[in-house]
Amino acid sequence: MMFASRNVRLCTKDCICLFVCPTGATDTESGQIDASKCLDGCRLCVDACPGGAIYLVPKNYPKPQPKHEDVVQTLFALAESKVKTRQLANALGDDHRLARKALDFSLEVLAEDCVREGGYMLPQSAAVKEFLNGLKERYREDPAFPIEAVERLRDLL
Amino acid sequence: MGTLNHGELTVMCTNLQKACEKQLRSEEAALFGRLATYFSEKTEKPGRQATLQEIGLIIDEEIATLYPEANEQADKAQDRGAKRALLWGEKVTRLHKSFLTRLERNPKLLDETPVWVCESCGFLFVGAAPPAVCPICKVPNIKIHKMEVK
Repeated sequence: MMFASRNVRLCTKDCICLFVCPTGATDTESGQIDASKCLDGCRLCVDACPGGAIYLVPKNYPKPQPKHEDVVQTLFALAESKVKTRQLANALGDDHRLARKALDFSLEVLAEDCVREGGYMLPQSAAVKEFLNGLKERYREDPAFPIEAVERLRDLL
Repeated sequence: MGTLNHGELTVMCTNLQKACEKQLRSEEAALFGRLATYFSEKTEKPGRQATLQEIGLIIDEEIATLYPEANEQADKAQDRGAKRALLWGEKVTRLHKSFLTRLERNPKLLDETPVWVCESCGFLFVGAAPPAVCPICKVPNIKIHKMEVK
């Protein structure tokens, strides 16, 4: 299952998509394509768009490649170090407020990239389901934990 | 998994939040965002002021040990995704080191000159305007953001 989506940053308003779309799914006032009218895998608008602004979003993704245990372990060791550095960066003095913010953001991206390549790229994957189940188990005693968010994610993903 | 600390759980959730946004799954993204906020609020703080030097020491250790070890394993497993993340990550980490050294020498570095960060790879840049494309990940500079504080 695949449905069209528009990258509004690339859209040059040539509106060829309106002309080629058999259902009028591209004819909206929101700037986005109406997924309820879009035909699965049709891609007429994708191929016709002169700005290359329309692409297909798969509803189902292929299974992620298996990750080697040693790769995961070394990437998570790096993520741990990045998180530690991030905590220290956020504890820099107020004369470094801007540096604090820049390092915090940059280290967030670096740590995320390590866990992403460490087997958590796809939210629909078995690894993420296991992660969510683990959270539920670990935090079930804490009334402040948003357990309903975990349950909803389990239903949606 | 039971051993991840709250700072690590925060980035696990913000990573998945961004992954959902890229798939246009806004409800899922918001739910991961809620989890990230919960973990971020629980994240341990050092309880004292940190110094530029101690951050520099951790970076030295990463460059001396953690990156070479991770690169070796990624090479052995022929994991292209991991190698890509390590290549960009190590470049950005070296920029962090030089940024910290410059700040040590001149604590007023950012008073006059803006600082920018690339949301795709973490590229950190001190200068009047960002480059047209990110020198590390080559994304156009609409993804390179000026850091500002109130």
